[in-house]
Amino acid sequence: MALSRDAYRALEDIVGPGYISEDPAVMDSYAYQWLAETVRPNQSKFMPRPEAALLPGSTKEVQAIVRTCNKYKIKVKPYSTGWYFYGAPLTEGVIQLDMRRMDRILEIDEKNMFAVIEPYAIAGVLQAEVMKRGLNCTVTGAGASCSTLVGATCYHGSGGTSIYTGELRENLLGAEWVMPNGEILRTGSIGSGCGWFCAEGPGPSMRGIVRGALGARGGLGVYTKCAVKLSPWPGPVEFPVEGTAPAYRSPLPGNFRAYTLAFKDWDSLFEAYYRLYDNEIGYYAHRQWTMLGADLGPAFWMLYQDPTKSLDDIEEFVQKQEVKEFTEEMRRSFQLVLVGMSQRDIEYQDKVLERILEETGGWKVKKWLEPEMEQFALLYLLRLGKKNLNFVYTGGWVGNFMQVGTPDFVKKYRPLAEDATREYQEKGLLVDCGSDSMMGCVGSISGGGNCGLEQFGFYDVADKVSTAAAVEWMKHCIQEEAMHNIPPGKEGMYLAVGKTHEELQQDLAKQPATHTWQRKIKQALDPNDLGDRMYPTLDER
Amino acid sequence: MEMIGKQKIIKEHKILDSYSHDNSFTLPMQPRLVVQPRNADDVQKIVTWANRTKTPLVPVSSGEPHFHGDTVPSVPEAVIIDLRRMDKIIRIDRRNRMVLIEPGVTYAQLQPALAEEGLRLSTPLLPRQSKSVIASLLEREPTLVPKYNHTLLEPLRCLEIVWGNGEILRTGDAGGYYPTLEQQWEMGLAQVFSGGPGQVDYYRLVSGAQGSIGIVTWASVKCEVLPKVHRFFFIPADNLKGLVECAYRLLKVRLGDEFLVLNSASLAAILSRDADGIQALKNKLPPWVIIMGIAGRDLFPEEKVDFQEKDTRDIVHQFGLELLPAVSGIGGGQVMSTILNPSPVTYWKLTYKGACQDIFFMSTLDKISEFVNTVFAAANALRYPVSDIGIYLQPQHQGTACHCEFNLPYNSGNKIESDHVRELLDTCSEALIEQGAYFSRPYGIWADMVYNRDAGNKEMIKTIKGIFDPNNILNPGKLCF
Repeated sequence: MALSRDAYRALEDIVGPGYISEDPAVMDSYAYQWLAETVRPNQSKFMPRPEAALLPGSTKEVQAIVRTCNKYKIKVKPYSTGWYFYGAPLTEGVIQLDMRRMDRILEIDEKNMFAVIEPYAIAGVLQAEVMKRGLNCTVTGAGASCSTLVGATCYHGSGGTSIYTGELRENLLGAEWVMPNGEILRTGSIGSGCGWFCAEGPGPSMRGIVRGALGARGGLGVYTKCAVKLSPWPGPVEFPVEGTAPAYRSPLPGNFRAYTLAFKDWDSLFEAYYRLYDNEIGYYAHRQWTMLGADLGPAFWMLYQDPTKSLDDIEEFVQKQEVKEFTEEMRRSFQLVLVGMSQRDIEYQDKVLERILEETGGWKVKKWLEPEMEQFALLYLLRLGKKNLNFVYTGGWVGNFMQVGTPDFVKKYRPLAEDATREYQEKGLLVDCGSDSMMGCVGSISGGGNCGLEQFGFYDVADKVSTAAAVEWMKHCIQEEAMHNIPPGKEGMYLAVGKTHEELQQDLAKQPATHTWQRKIKQALDPNDLGDRMYPTLDER
Repeated sequence: MEMIGKQKIIKEHKILDSYSHDNSFTLPMQPRLVVQPRNADDVQKIVTWANRTKTPLVPVSSGEPHFHGDTVPSVPEAVIIDLRRMDKIIRIDRRNRMVLIEPGVTYAQLQPALAEEGLRLSTPLLPRQSKSVIASLLEREPTLVPKYNHTLLEPLRCLEIVWGNGEILRTGDAGGYYPTLEQQWEMGLAQVFSGGPGQVDYYRLVSGAQGSIGIVTWASVKCEVLPKVHRFFFIPADNLKGLVECAYRLLKVRLGDEFLVLNSASLAAILSRDADGIQALKNKLPPWVIIMGIAGRDLFPEEKVDFQEKDTRDIVHQFGLELLPAVSGIGGGQVMSTILNPSPVTYWKLTYKGACQDIFFMSTLDKISEFVNTVFAAANALRYPVSDIGIYLQPQHQGTACHCEFNLPYNSGNKIESDHVRELLDTCSEALIEQGAYFSRPYGIWADMVYNRDAGNKEMIKTIKGIFDPNNILNPGKLCF
């Protein structure tokens, strides 16, 4: 269903002929999406092809496009840096807004600790700029190459430093939003022309409509600017980088520490979470290294340090006695970076940590205390610039079970996640890296109190049997969760993309109030239904 | 009225009269009656009845005195829904540091109960004895510890809301997969996460709403670990500009716990018990002072306070200022015991002259000096004594924003003085808004001033009001509807 020529010309008039295309080859580059093969017919790697793609350069252009879409009743889907397949068209007849021209950091207010950014300003660039001013930003779990605005407005927004630097949901100050009806809303203080420092008000806070626990994932208008709160960075103005590719490392000053903390059992590990919350220590706290599996991950991290080795050498590494000991030593572990705002501060935090480890029977994993390993950890964890490693085993992965909750809640689904994964690994349908390949925030919100564990499963995107197994594994996990009275995790969100309308309605009806209120809001803001089911609503009965 | 059932209904003229006015310049309006529900079910019945009969409802959670006009009916025949009988502390969860409370629970009631569990709550500056915790948090009153202000709404987390159309929704992770609180507790959840449910932060929609979108019947609130060691210090200064630079540096590295800036008139009003005492003390005090509390809470509390004191002193010296345990004979301990507790029975702002009008808004610390100049110039022009103006600056959201408050004490029995203050309030508010002050909580006369400058938010708020309270039952006449 091509766009009418009238509609195409109207859109072309807005952005100019250089920033619009309907070339099928270009359209396919937008349709080609990670995870598509898990929900599309015949395991196609393509989501529906957009009718056209436009690259707007300003809020004014975005507004004009949305108004034109209302006139011609064309669905519109914005896409910036992308993550999963949520930003792609979910149906035919959609135009894609590619936000890459709007990539500026508009303002960094050093004193008041916020930055104003456009949709395609990525976390890595923002971090590099604010570090020059003694500040840092939250880099979400999606990594340094992803849009900070998207984390703040459209998706989750937690990262390894969230315990200190906050979840981007919390850090979102003002937002500029081109709503699906073509109107522009500027929330908080910027709406009153007073600057970007405050998210709320005036009066009832319309910031609440901008996003909730989750953002609209492109399903309800386009966010064109936002301000995010920044946090202190008592380190150098840029990361010092040493080492050889790929294991670059960063020797940071004496007020930085990177530890891998391990525990004799899971109860002790989660107890340590609570002790960290109460004592307010930790700049980065996340379970990261185990994402590649408790059995295989340690070997991988060791071979990664050796530029002469490749993934082909991992079996040899696993057999080494040193690696076996390392693997057992860090079997139940998470990573903690301490950052002192002063020398006294780091000494105090170290002392507190020692006491917490005494209380919980935990220990610091020795290998990670070696200077080069610690420096590698500091750069990796604080920068989060190596998200390619999520794909390293087989080119494909999904994360199941992930949800936020208290440590006491999360530890209830931890064994389920392992059990539900083990048989798929043992059958060779997923990479057999250890049934615990769980990663997640120790503190997913500022100050802690909530955490999460996401069980990674690695499937071979080139193998139809393995891809089918990944889908079956997701469905199996949902069944296991239901049997144990646990809500579906991230896998439920992935699979929803491929469901029929009727199937999705059955799911949404399990939380009728949430999705009925969302329908009422959507009806008010998107009368011509320009958005898609990434902002799900329950049909009126 | 039979639909309201067995709830307590008050019709006595004297009591109705007490709800008809407050300490603001809001025009008095007598309500038709007062109803005092006992639980959410009662509240829902009242709202349903109000929708059927098109009766305006004005929610009230705190006791007198009121100051902002938001609890005074704006339309005739309104019914006051007074939530003070709903005063249960439903659950204190030490492990997750959460407390679940009803709207009638006051700070004076809650803090001792939390202390028994080793917890406390970051409070506004000397809330009055009758102040509802939930009302304070919903109205986004600033709290004293900026580092715990992870968002502007902190420490508020999850809510149960009866919307204006009578439907109930639980917000945050209380509104998720598990339908009852008991099931959530059984699964180890504790109503910690404020977002959602789904893709709307509902709890923000009822914040700053003056009871005009929904009625909150319980809330979960994040607590702090009760300090084992807690010391208070002063950083005095003759001028605000130098002090602000120092404040920025301290806030940037999140040193200390309580952190606020007061001028001499404000500090004197807080510490003195009578007008003469205030007058005498403010002449002794430095013009401006940062008050900073440093707390040691769990492990090695003494060491934490010691190192933070040293770090703070190092920074303060860089600005040519001093970190002192006392100023003008006032010790840190005296300030601590005062500001960590609710106000004495006579609310502290009323001690000096019997009445007080406040002007408050949000901005950033670097702009405050300009606003002070504006208010002082306007005061001089109207012959209001500048030396009487109390100023309270409260950094919020970990230092990203600042609450700025001017207190204008006056004798309400003196018509000339009262008229001057009213004029000063009008003049200053307009001038400050023009200058860029953000009136994020637009009470009374501020509503028109604010919404006439922000058509986008005004239209959106009206749209949302139309969805959640389609018959405009809740507190009509306030804000922009």
